[in-house]
Amino acid sequence: MKNTPRPISKATAIRQNLSRFLPFALLRLLGLFVTVVIGVYLTILIANMGGKVDELRLLQIRTTVGEQVRADPAFFDMPVAERDDIIESRVTLEVKRRRLDQPFVARSIDYLLAAVRLDLGRSEEMHSDSGAREVSAIILERLPATLLLFGTANLAVFFSAIFFALRLSRRYGSWMDRAVIALAPTSAAPAWFFGIFLILVFAFLTPILPAGGMVHVPPPEGRVAWGLSVAQHMVLPLAAMFFSSIFISIYSWRTFFLIHSSEDYVEMARAKGLPGRLIEQRYVLRPALSPIITSFALMLIGLWSGAIILEQVFNWPGLGSLLFRAIGHRDTPMIIGSVVIFAYLLAITVFLLDILYAILDPRVRIQGGRS
Amino acid sequence: MSIVPAATPPLLQVSDLSLHYQTRQGEARAVDGVSFALQPNEAMVVLGESGCGKSSLARALLRLLPRNVAHYSGAVHFEGRDLMPLGEEDFRATVRWQRMSMVMQAAMNALNPVVRVREQVAEPLRIHSKWSREKALARVGETFGLVGLAPDVLDRYPFELSGGMRQRVVLAMALVTAPPLVILDEPTSALDVLTQAAIMNVLKRIKREQDISFILITHDVATSSEIADRVALMYAGQIVECSPARDFFHAPRHPYAQLLMASVPRLRQPEAPGAIPGTPPSLLALPAGCRFADRCPQRFARCDQPPPTFHVDGSTVRCWRFAPEGAP
Repeated sequence: MKNTPRPISKATAIRQNLSRFLPFALLRLLGLFVTVVIGVYLTILIANMGGKVDELRLLQIRTTVGEQVRADPAFFDMPVAERDDIIESRVTLEVKRRRLDQPFVARSIDYLLAAVRLDLGRSEEMHSDSGAREVSAIILERLPATLLLFGTANLAVFFSAIFFALRLSRRYGSWMDRAVIALAPTSAAPAWFFGIFLILVFAFLTPILPAGGMVHVPPPEGRVAWGLSVAQHMVLPLAAMFFSSIFISIYSWRTFFLIHSSEDYVEMARAKGLPGRLIEQRYVLRPALSPIITSFALMLIGLWSGAIILEQVFNWPGLGSLLFRAIGHRDTPMIIGSVVIFAYLLAITVFLLDILYAILDPRVRIQGGRS
Repeated sequence: MSIVPAATPPLLQVSDLSLHYQTRQGEARAVDGVSFALQPNEAMVVLGESGCGKSSLARALLRLLPRNVAHYSGAVHFEGRDLMPLGEEDFRATVRWQRMSMVMQAAMNALNPVVRVREQVAEPLRIHSKWSREKALARVGETFGLVGLAPDVLDRYPFELSGGMRQRVVLAMALVTAPPLVILDEPTSALDVLTQAAIMNVLKRIKREQDISFILITHDVATSSEIADRVALMYAGQIVECSPARDFFHAPRHPYAQLLMASVPRLRQPEAPGAIPGTPPSLLALPAGCRFADRCPQRFARCDQPPPTFHVDGSTVRCWRFAPEGAP
């Protein structure tokens, strides 16, 4: 490449880049899809305990049908044998309907095909507040609550951590830096642990904030009043999440920036007499952008699963408490459904990150196609 | 008091410059009372073994101090101005790269990996001189020609360049603002011999064609002899001899300089080159007397006292053997 002084026009360069990129992108998509399929299938196996859940289901069907028939006044006068026949035929019908008479492996493949097509099916035990049993409807109903709470918390933690970490990496060794290092181990306690204390102090000892839930009961009239009520309910969980992760985030980003600002080219920029702000932007942040973006993207999709225990503690109607209940009810379609969506989100994010790296980092863009 | 008597005022006059670092084991006196003067359009080579404080001297001049500085003092007069009282921001905005630039030791990594070469080289012009992009890039192209780089390198990223090309880019970056003084800290030590020679030729040509002074820091006696007007030899944080190049390479005065020159292999030399026994003292625990005394074959009683700098025929030597007759 040293001996190619021949100038390349912009259009040709773009076309060359594209022709290199397309096969790469297709291969990458295929690979990610295979990963998703494997992940989903494993989830199906685990959520069904490798078929063991079927035995429980059979038992449950038998009990439910038996009770229904026995409790039905229309069958009161029937002889026992005849009634048992009816029960037996109804059980068989139900088993056929849910295809429990087929081997689990065959059904697991059907589940997989449906899941991969994002046909999440119907929940076995749960329903949405409006009464729908479709897994997708139940999930969609819970999604906004989780996005609101965790989105706010994670964005606040992410950006304030990066902001303070940059400051600290310049004043490394100062008392503020030491304070953050000293406070970092507080993040060993999970957010819900902080939550319990916050509820105790601010909801019971000095009752100024609601202890849980998303809005007051009954919900206040009018958009503004409703919004205010939600905001009030968000204060404590937000504080719990913020304080449980802010110090460790600052600490790790600060270390990250310290490593990046000890590079020779940062020293060189300083020798060149560039102003501090420019050094920070062009010589520290920009070469380090790929890992920052990665961490941001993973944080964003991490919102999907919410936080199971925190949502329980604050009685927040989000995806975390939904998953908690689904696991409690052994509601397999519900569990698989939420994993499938997460798997797809993760795959799409990884794919988008690959493209982003190439846009952000010339080392990936130019060398990637050569190797 | 000028060290070298000269008609023109020196470009750079350094007096009693010290830079000590705080370490866990104590204070490391990397630069300890260094004085010298540099004339306009002069190339001074600072020679010394690794760890003798020559890179610290470069950092002290450009005030690129690490965090663990314990002591930083002395006087630096540059273009008739005392630099030491300047505030950090003044120093950054008026001295760095406008009047004094530097080629760093680790030139291979001195370029930002994600910014095109031309932008990085143009940066000092855009920031300090507030030049327009077009004007700055035109000047960058000119400077690239000066250091022998093809114009197509302008559009490249650093990782697309070979080591020698990167070194030339870094050199171009130091020259782009046409400062009166360029400090080169081991500019060729990571390169192969051919590239080294090519870079030294570029330096020689630039020095011939432009009104520019160099301080070249190196441990390589052979390469330094090609460009030096004057040689300052450092040992354990001090300059032990500062002489015109001809004198230094042919008749060095300080015993360390003599041994050093004897250790350089020459063509058609019948005897094997000599070695200097022992190791330099630790900068953490320097001897009270002459710092070279322990390794010196010409040691005598007075060497237990720290020698001052003596002036001998246009050279300065820090050795008791050059004490004038009758001096205390």
